[in-house]
Amino acid sequence: MRMWFLVLAMAGGSLHGEAQDTPQRRLIALEIAWNQAVQLRDGAAVEPLLGNELIYIDYDGTVMNKGQYMTSVRSSALHADQVTNESMKVQVYGVSAIVVGVYRERGTRHGKSYLHRERFVDTWLNRGGAWVCVASQSTLITH
Amino acid sequence: MRDVDAGHGDRGDVDTSKVRRSPGKVSIFRSLLSRAVLLRIFAGALVWLGLASEAARPQSDDESGARTKIMALENIWNYAEKAGNAAALSLILDDAMVYIDEDGSLLTKAQFLEHVKETSPQLQTLVTEAISAHVYGDTALVASTYRVSGVARGKAFQREGRFIDTWLLKNGTWSCVAAQATPVVR
Repeated sequence: MRMWFLVLAMAGGSLHGEAQDTPQRRLIALEIAWNQAVQLRDGAAVEPLLGNELIYIDYDGTVMNKGQYMTSVRSSALHADQVTNESMKVQVYGVSAIVVGVYRERGTRHGKSYLHRERFVDTWLNRGGAWVCVASQSTLITH
Repeated sequence: MRDVDAGHGDRGDVDTSKVRRSPGKVSIFRSLLSRAVLLRIFAGALVWLGLASEAARPQSDDESGARTKIMALENIWNYAEKAGNAAALSLILDDAMVYIDEDGSLLTKAQFLEHVKETSPQLQTLVTEAISAHVYGDTALVASTYRVSGVARGKAFQREGRFIDTWLLKNGTWSCVAAQATPVVR
């Protein structure tokens, strides 16, 4: 059940016809799938989206590798009640791409509620036809 | 929706300087060289880097060679930013570059260069450490920690943050297409 969104994302533009399956469309679908999988703490759905060499910098400056990030995804200390993507812009450079976006998240952490608005940059590489994220960084929007 | 397990605290220093990083101990260097001379040095270094790229392999740089060039460009960035030399900095940034500053604001290349000119005089020290470069064909990533101190509006500040820069090899020349800074919250 939890995998449905990832299957849709992997299928790319199949919902709209193969001709419209652009890298931009696919990457946005993968970003949405990633968000939903984290919300559900579904590590199995997140794992194939990430390169093994992932560098992840969280909004508080914490640096994680893929293993550390996957552990945090599965943690029960966090529960995101609502995640809203406000914007995403994809720039494709051949077999690499950059996604810049803003998202808003409301949830509870260690029993305490929070509301974040963050801007992120994700760097994706196309490997054998599959996009994987190799770097992701978020910064709290405080201005 | 990427934040996971880490705690959330205050930002600490709330100075809104747009300067991200640069090496310490460059004040002497800065005082000895005019901006015009610095620009010539940077331009020469860039030409050398570009020619080296062309001579080696224009589209798929050797990985170790590419890493060396990227690190050199990061050093040029640091010196240029600390010196407030936007003209030199402009040479290594892609026209479509996006910069995410410590407060989450999104800056274009032109906006970033303007902020560099405005804020570089505030800096006293700035050090990068734990820098790593990863090359994937014509794409490269640089991740690092930076510490900066200075005086803004009469008030001393000290910050620590982390950044990732994304570089692309275009027509034999590496240029930065995305950079982001995130303050470390303790």
